[in-house]
Amino acid sequence: MAIAQARVPTERLAEFVHFSGLVQLISVDGQRTVGCPYWDLVGDVDAAQLRDLYRDMAIVRRLDAEAMALQRQGELALWAPLLGQEAAQVGSARALKPDDFVFPSYREHGVAYCRGVDPVDMLRMWRGTALSGWDPVDYGIATPAIIVGSQALHATGYALGIVLDGRTSAALAYFGDGAPSEGDVAEALGFAASFGVPVVFFCQNNQWAISEPVRLQSHASIAQRGQGYGIPGIRVDGNDVLAVLAATRLALARAYAGQGPTLVEAVTYRMGPHTTSDDPTKYRSRGEEEQWRAKDPLARLRALLHSEGVADDRFEDGVEAAAAEAAAALREGVLALRDPEPAAMFEHVYAGPHALLDEERAAYERYLAGFDEMAEPADPS
Amino acid sequence: MSLGKALNAGLRQAMTRDPKVVLMGEDIGRLGGVFRVTDGLQRDFGDRRVIDTPLAESGVVGTAVGLAVRGYRPVCEIQFDGFVYPAFDQIVSQVAKFRYRNEGRVPMPVTIRVPYGGGIGAVEHHSESPEAYFAHTAGLRVVTPSDAADAHRMIQQAIASDDPVIFFEPKRRYWDKGEVDEDAPLDDLPLHRARVVAEGTDVTIAAYGPMVATSLEAAGIGAEEGTSVEVVDLRSVSPVDFETLEASVRKTGRLVVVHEAPVYCGVGAEIAARISERCFYNLESPVRRVGSFATPYPPSKLEGHYLPDADRILAEVDRCLDQP
Amino acid sequence: MSDRRRFLLPDLGEGLTEAEIVAWHVAAGDEVQLNQVLVEVETEKAVVELPSPYTGTVVELLAAPGDTVAVGAPIVAIDAPGAEPGARDTIPAATAADAAPTEKAGRKPAENVPAENVAVLVGYGPSGVVPSRRRRRRSAHPEQPASAPAPPHNGGRPLAAPPVRFMARQEGVDLGDVVGHGPGGIITRADLAAHLAGAPTPAVAPVPGRAPVAAHLAGTTTQAAAPVPGRETRSPVRGIQKHMAEAMLRSVATAPQACVFLTLDVTSTTDLVERLRRNRHFEGAHVTMLTLVARAVLLALREHAALNSSWDEATVEVVTKHYVNLGIAVAGPHGLVVPNIKDAQDLTLRDLAAALSDLTSRARAARSTTADLSGGTFTITNVGVFGVDAGVPLLNPGEAGILAFGAVQRRPWEHDGGVALRDVVTLSLAFDHRLVDGQAASRFLAEVGEVLTDPTNLIALV
Repeated sequence: MAIAQARVPTERLAEFVHFSGLVQLISVDGQRTVGCPYWDLVGDVDAAQLRDLYRDMAIVRRLDAEAMALQRQGELALWAPLLGQEAAQVGSARALKPDDFVFPSYREHGVAYCRGVDPVDMLRMWRGTALSGWDPVDYGIATPAIIVGSQALHATGYALGIVLDGRTSAALAYFGDGAPSEGDVAEALGFAASFGVPVVFFCQNNQWAISEPVRLQSHASIAQRGQGYGIPGIRVDGNDVLAVLAATRLALARAYAGQGPTLVEAVTYRMGPHTTSDDPTKYRSRGEEEQWRAKDPLARLRALLHSEGVADDRFEDGVEAAAAEAAAALREGVLALRDPEPAAMFEHVYAGPHALLDEERAAYERYLAGFDEMAEPADPS
Repeated sequence: MSLGKALNAGLRQAMTRDPKVVLMGEDIGRLGGVFRVTDGLQRDFGDRRVIDTPLAESGVVGTAVGLAVRGYRPVCEIQFDGFVYPAFDQIVSQVAKFRYRNEGRVPMPVTIRVPYGGGIGAVEHHSESPEAYFAHTAGLRVVTPSDAADAHRMIQQAIASDDPVIFFEPKRRYWDKGEVDEDAPLDDLPLHRARVVAEGTDVTIAAYGPMVATSLEAAGIGAEEGTSVEVVDLRSVSPVDFETLEASVRKTGRLVVVHEAPVYCGVGAEIAARISERCFYNLESPVRRVGSFATPYPPSKLEGHYLPDADRILAEVDRCLDQP
Repeated sequence: MSDRRRFLLPDLGEGLTEAEIVAWHVAAGDEVQLNQVLVEVETEKAVVELPSPYTGTVVELLAAPGDTVAVGAPIVAIDAPGAEPGARDTIPAATAADAAPTEKAGRKPAENVPAENVAVLVGYGPSGVVPSRRRRRRSAHPEQPASAPAPPHNGGRPLAAPPVRFMARQEGVDLGDVVGHGPGGIITRADLAAHLAGAPTPAVAPVPGRAPVAAHLAGTTTQAAAPVPGRETRSPVRGIQKHMAEAMLRSVATAPQACVFLTLDVTSTTDLVERLRRNRHFEGAHVTMLTLVARAVLLALREHAALNSSWDEATVEVVTKHYVNLGIAVAGPHGLVVPNIKDAQDLTLRDLAAALSDLTSRARAARSTTADLSGGTFTITNVGVFGVDAGVPLLNPGEAGILAFGAVQRRPWEHDGGVALRDVVTLSLAFDHRLVDGQAASRFLAEVGEVLTDPTNLIALV
């Protein structure tokens, strides 16, 4: 579903940028807040669209949980769960136009979902059958970046390309709270500001980079980091899907209007482990997790929908059914993924011919043909 | 024309031919590059096609990746060999692997130009030969011209290649002059083909980049002493044209590989291993290598001792010939 | 049975290989839903809840709380009608013994691992049983190694491995003159050896394009002919046979050998042998023809030191020995051996007889020592014991001469102006023509013959 872009005149964009508080439109207990100017950016979002946002988040949460289960059942090698960050991802992704382009990190499954990527395709790289899962050009979202922060430069370069093409669209780079410590992110901010390119740097500050709290990365808020480069920063409640939508719309509007890059810090929480290999009990308290559970993004939107009488049990059942159906489809699709053939190892290394690669491929095929049984090769360890 | 000017002419032709070619790097626009290789190009093509970047090598290459995803054909300049290391991650983790990671769906036709090599009396970090790191990285192509004609031809071929190419320019040869036919068809000599630049029968010297001229000098001296030396300019370090090289070794039975980079784990090691395997029954002596020592590049007053010269090359040639 | 699915302990984190069962959340007989938490397990890193891969009925819990289970071992069996088996359950149900959990300490996970993908904590970990041997290769090797030398385009220059080139240079041989029978025309060691021995083809006539018998010495790869079962037997070449083969080849490859013959009436010597056997001084010493031949050889070597020398390739010198370590070729139980008697020139006839018999009896019992078998300077070989008259012996490598003598036969022979039946034997002397020429060899042999024809010469020469 697409949410129509709010029409805010270009001249007004600056005033939003100058709002220095935390952008929040739905309070923790599900009430609309008063006085935040960002309401003007989502004036068009009606009950139906709110319900759609809720459904998106519920399905994304369910898909994420199914992937976790699949990993625990040995069907995936690894999974990086987004539990708790549904609003930050759905709210921002639903602000994008089809011709905008996303450069994610490795946790933006919710964003990929909103861009239309088949969840089964999202899981290929986690199952180990491929290093990617979809054609970036078809969905306007690049393959997840595992090198932390590297994608910020890619988004900047892409945005420069948009300028060179004379188009009105934007690139959006997602990264976490650890990434701004990397030099590549600093360089991306510098290049983006210097060239004034239409890029949005969207930081999901989920408080943790594996076991390192965000305070280890920075004593100042991440949104402030852009100041040094002349890039405006917006600090938004990342568990408030409406606020995230508004903040992202603003940043994109600035980009389309040629006003250059924006840095958005969505304050949220990584409710689950860093990945399925991680044990958060080693470095953070259940108490902290409970505190953030009280700020759950789905709960607060559900509360709002109920308090405004725009969602009933039938709606909830429908959402639950859709989520269960999506999860079942994901499971079925993943279990059906076949391992690649050995020859696949040699494909797509180069565009042009390469004598050494051809030789190695042929030699390895001959080698494999020399065995009676085609057992799996032994693990080198 | 000089090798530097030949590069300039080649860049100009590449940019004229394809509007998606965009140059980016530090000081390449207004200044025309610290070696003037991009001289006049911003004036003629504008600052949207010849872009001065902030001082950040990783930023230059990472931004180029994004531009390539968008459909452009970026040509990055790293100002000096010793400054390529901050960009190493973007080159090795991103540029080299992008196509493979995305199963061929996303193009990465990035060219990264790196002036390299020593012999110019410079301060630290301006005389490195880091080509082995990149040759060792699957997904990259690594080439290096030795003269003006090749520089002119190869820069265009590298830019036209749909694969990422690390283009090493021998900076000590920037001012060496040679005949360049600007209208010669590019496919006369494929990018990764090695070339016999001097024919001989007693020993083959395989060299690339700045050492080709030095090897030719050694061959000349050898001829006077009665040794017939064949010199092969490899031109491409990854992939290496082993077909041409093996044919030469089968003819002469002896091979000496020469590069400025340290001998230890240098490109010569791969060539020696491979030729020993493939030409075992043709060899009169083991494959020998001439390169620099296993030390960081020394102060410029010592670089004459560090870098191979004709004498050091001929000393290895002698050892080949004296093999009992 | 076909609905029974087992849930194998999966990969749970990074690099971990086992987990301890903490608590079950279900029991046998319980209905379970897909993804319902079945059990809590504890790894090195964390306590983890495992969700059910199936909807169905729990049949059996296969591990108890406190048990340490290796990754890949089954932990629960579930009856799941209609369920597709997961990646972790592709083997038929095994006995409870298979599923026996491990002791906490010391047991390798691999021992408890079923023969398929085993999960480990980052990614999938080692796949399957740690193999104790290599996978079986097909008997015919279709693989042409990519690294095989590519002889076809040799640029007109001879192809040879470095050691062969070295040997050729040492011998002053131009490889261009040598015919190569290795693959693609490579000149093998055997080819060079044959060339040096002057033979147009090596000792065993090769099929063109195939390496000769001693291919393993030549170091080339030979395409083995496809074996026809029952029509031939293959025995690996080892031990003494291998050593002998190498020695023979080395002998032929290094020394140009020629041979001279002498047939003699040795009746006087055979009579002497009889008398010596009955002589009290030789009681217990086993005197034979060999003893007298050895004595004759030792005497003749005094005047013909060239037959007791060797050719030093490295220093390009002739080394003339001032002692004789007399080697005797003996047919031992495992093959031909050539032990030698040290300083034989100093031995009395009686001691020589004793030494010879000791040497040969030890050799026949395969008890020759390394010292026995090395350092020889001249060799005698008695081919007569095999019933033949003469032979062309091959030099023991490093020696200049070898004397063979055949069976002593009763033959009509000139005697005192007439023809009589006499004891006749043929001596064959092979020699290294670098060290000894025909004249010297003949003179030596004649002197040996002189002693054996008339053993009173022994007294004259002693």
